[in-house]
Amino acid sequence: MKNKKHAWIFGYSKQSRSIAASLLAENFSITIIENDDKNFQDALSDGYVNSVLIDITADTELEKLDIKQSDWILCLMEDEYLNVFLTLSLRASCTCNQIIAISHSIYSTQKLIMAGANQVIDVYQVSANRIHNIFEKPITTKLMDNFISPSHEISFEEFTIPKNSFLDGAIIDEVDFDKFGIIFTGIVDKELGDELIFAASNINHKIDNGDIIICIGKNEDLVKFGKYLYKDIA
Amino acid sequence: MFSKYIVKFAFGLYNSKRYTSTKKFFYDLLENENYHYKKIVDIFLIILILSSVIELIYSIKHGVHGWLYIFDLYIVSIVFGIEYMLRLWVHSDMHKIIIKEYERSQFLKIQFKFYAAFIQILTEKWNYIKSPAAIIDLIAISPTYRELRILRIFKLLRYTTSIGQFINVLKTKRFELMTLLILLIFLIGTTGVAMYALEGNINKNINSIFDAVYWALITTATVGYGDIAPVTTMGRIISMIAIITGLVLMAFATSVIVSAFLEKLNEIKDNRLIDSINKEDRFVIICGYGQMAKMLLRQNNFDNKYVIIEKDPNIASQIAKDGFNVITDDVSRHDVITKFNIQYANVSILCIGNDDVENIYITLTAKSLSKDIRVIARASDISMKKKFVLAGADHVIVPNQMANIMLLTSIKQPVVYNVMHALLAGKHAAYLDEIKVLAYDGLIGKSIQEIEFKTKKLLLIGIQKEDHNDFIFNPPASTILEQNDILLIMGPKISVEHFINSFQRSLK
Repeated sequence: MKNKKHAWIFGYSKQSRSIAASLLAENFSITIIENDDKNFQDALSDGYVNSVLIDITADTELEKLDIKQSDWILCLMEDEYLNVFLTLSLRASCTCNQIIAISHSIYSTQKLIMAGANQVIDVYQVSANRIHNIFEKPITTKLMDNFISPSHEISFEEFTIPKNSFLDGAIIDEVDFDKFGIIFTGIVDKELGDELIFAASNINHKIDNGDIIICIGKNEDLVKFGKYLYKDIA
Repeated sequence: MFSKYIVKFAFGLYNSKRYTSTKKFFYDLLENENYHYKKIVDIFLIILILSSVIELIYSIKHGVHGWLYIFDLYIVSIVFGIEYMLRLWVHSDMHKIIIKEYERSQFLKIQFKFYAAFIQILTEKWNYIKSPAAIIDLIAISPTYRELRILRIFKLLRYTTSIGQFINVLKTKRFELMTLLILLIFLIGTTGVAMYALEGNINKNINSIFDAVYWALITTATVGYGDIAPVTTMGRIISMIAIITGLVLMAFATSVIVSAFLEKLNEIKDNRLIDSINKEDRFVIICGYGQMAKMLLRQNNFDNKYVIIEKDPNIASQIAKDGFNVITDDVSRHDVITKFNIQYANVSILCIGNDDVENIYITLTAKSLSKDIRVIARASDISMKKKFVLAGADHVIVPNQMANIMLLTSIKQPVVYNVMHALLAGKHAAYLDEIKVLAYDGLIGKSIQEIEFKTKKLLLIGIQKEDHNDFIFNPPASTILEQNDILLIMGPKISVEHFINSFQRSLK
C-alpha cells in the first residue's frame, strides 16, 4: 500500500482550516502545530487529534517534532514576523523538506523566500493578478476561473511518464496530442533538471520515463489520455 | 376649457419621445459637463465672446467698421440670445409642473387651476433669470448700450473653473467677509464724514461729501493718490486712524480668504482630479486602499485612468504621498459616485477594502445608480460570495480561496502550479494573450492550419467566436478565422508580440 503523504501545518487560522480539510480529502495525514491555546483547542475540536501546542520560536521544541524528509511543511501563521521566523527556523533544521508559506504582503514574500521557503503564495498578489487579468484578458480569466472552480470542465493535468508506455522514448513533435483532444503545454525533462520547459519553446525533446508532461484539456479527454498512457503498465 | 388644452398639451409633451430627446440633447449640449459635444459648443461661445471684446477694444481707437458692427450687433447678439433662451428652456420642465399640479388636483378632487401651475413655472424660471450667470448672459445680449458689451467677458466665468472655485471658496466665508465689509463701510463713512466736517470749508480739494468719502477710501486702502490730503492737525490724526484701521481690516480679510482656501484646498484638488478623469472614456474607481490595491497598481496603473476614493483623510494623504491618484470622500454615499461620468463612460469600481459590509454597500450603491457600472468586489470568505453576487457584483475575488487553491495545487501538482503561476503572473516564458481578429487584418479567412502556430512558437488554446459566447477549446485545424474572433494563444512573450506585429503589419 502506498504510504500516506504527511503535512505539518503551522498555524490554525480560518485560512488554514480549509487547507487542512482539502489536504485531508486528498488522503494526507496532517499535524497541526500551534502556539496559541485557543487555536490549538479549535484544531482539536475540529478532529485534528495529532495537534501539538508548542512554543514555535524554540528550536528545541521544533526538533522534537520528528519531521521526515518527505513531509510537506506549511507555514500559515497569521503573524507575519512569526511566519518568517518560523520558516527560517524550519529551513535550518529541515534542509530537504518542501516548505510552502503564505504571505500577506510583497515585503514578507521576499523575506519568506530569503528565509528558505520553496513556494510562497502571496494572497494579495494572486488576487491582484486576477483583477489585472479581468481587465486585460477577460477570456483568460474565464479559463483560469475554470481551472480553479470545483466544477471545472477544462484543466491542467501533469503526467509522469511510466516506463514502457507509448511516450517512453518518443519525440515530442511526433506525438499527436490532438488525437486525444488535449494540448501539450510543457515538460519537465529530468535529464535537464527540474525546470519546466514550455511547449512553445520549440525544443524538440525526447521523452523518457520519469519525465513529467503537462497537458491542458477537457477533463474526460485528460482521463482518457491518462488511461491510455498508463495502460499495460503494471 | 383653456386649462383642459394646457393639460392635454403638457401630457402630449410628456409622452413625446422626440420632445424629450431634443430637450435632453440641448441640456447636454449646454449644461452637461460630461457630454462630448458640449466642449465644442463651449469653444465656439468662448471664441464669440473674445472676438466681440476684441472688436470693442479695437473700435475704441479705430472706429467701428461696417461688417464688424453688423457681426457684433446682430450675429453675436443673436447667438447669445438663442443660447439664453435655450438655457432658460432646459432649466426646468414646464409640462411636468403642469402635470404634477393636475395630478394633485385630481387626487384632492378639486378643480385644476392653471394659474397655480403658472406661478410655479414662473418661480422656477425666475430662479434661473436672477442667477448671476443668467444676468451676465442677459447683459451680453443687450446691444443697446455699446460700452456695456465689455461685460460679455464675464460670460467666460462659465468656462473658467478656477474663478468658479474662487467664488465658491469665498461663499464659505460669507459671514466673516460680510462682517469685515460692514466694518469697512462704517470706517469709510465715519472718517469721510469727520473729514468733511473738519476740512469741508478749509481744504480746497474737498468740495463735497463725495470728495471726503473718496479720500477716506483711498486712505483706508493705503493707496494714497495724494490728490486730496488733510491740511489740519485733526485731519491728519483722522488719516492716521484710517490708515491703521484699514491695515488691520485688510490683514483680517486676507487671513479669512487664505484660511478659506486652505480649508478647501483638498476639495479643489479632488474636483480637479474628478474633472480630469471624467474626460476619459473608461476609468477605474478603487475603493479601499491596502496591499491588494498597491499590488494591483504596481502591475496595472490603468494608463493613469483611475482614482482611489478613501474616506480617512490621514490614509488619503498617505496614498497621495505614495504617488497615487486619490480623493478624500465616502464612496458609499450616493452623491460621490454621481460626481463621476457614469452615464457616458465605461466605469469599473473595485471594492477591495477588507470590510465585507462596506464592499457590499458600495456594490449596491454603484449598481443602483447604473447597471452598466462594472463592479469587482473582494469578499473575505467564500460564504460571502453569494451575497456579493446577489448585490450585483460582476466579479467576486476571495483572496484566501485563491491562495488556498494555489497552495493546494503547489502540493498536489507542483508542475501545474508552476504553469498556472507563470500564466497568472504573465511571465515571459509562458505568456497567455488574447488577440482580436480585426477587420482587414491578415488573419481573416485563414484556417488555423494555415497560420501554423507551432512554427511561430505559439500554442492556440482556443477561440471565442463573436456570434456565440462559448469558448471553443482546442478548435479543429480547419476552423476559419473571422472578424472579431478572439484567439487565446500561449507562448513566450516575444513570440506573442512578434505574431501580433506581423499580422498587424500585413493590414491591407
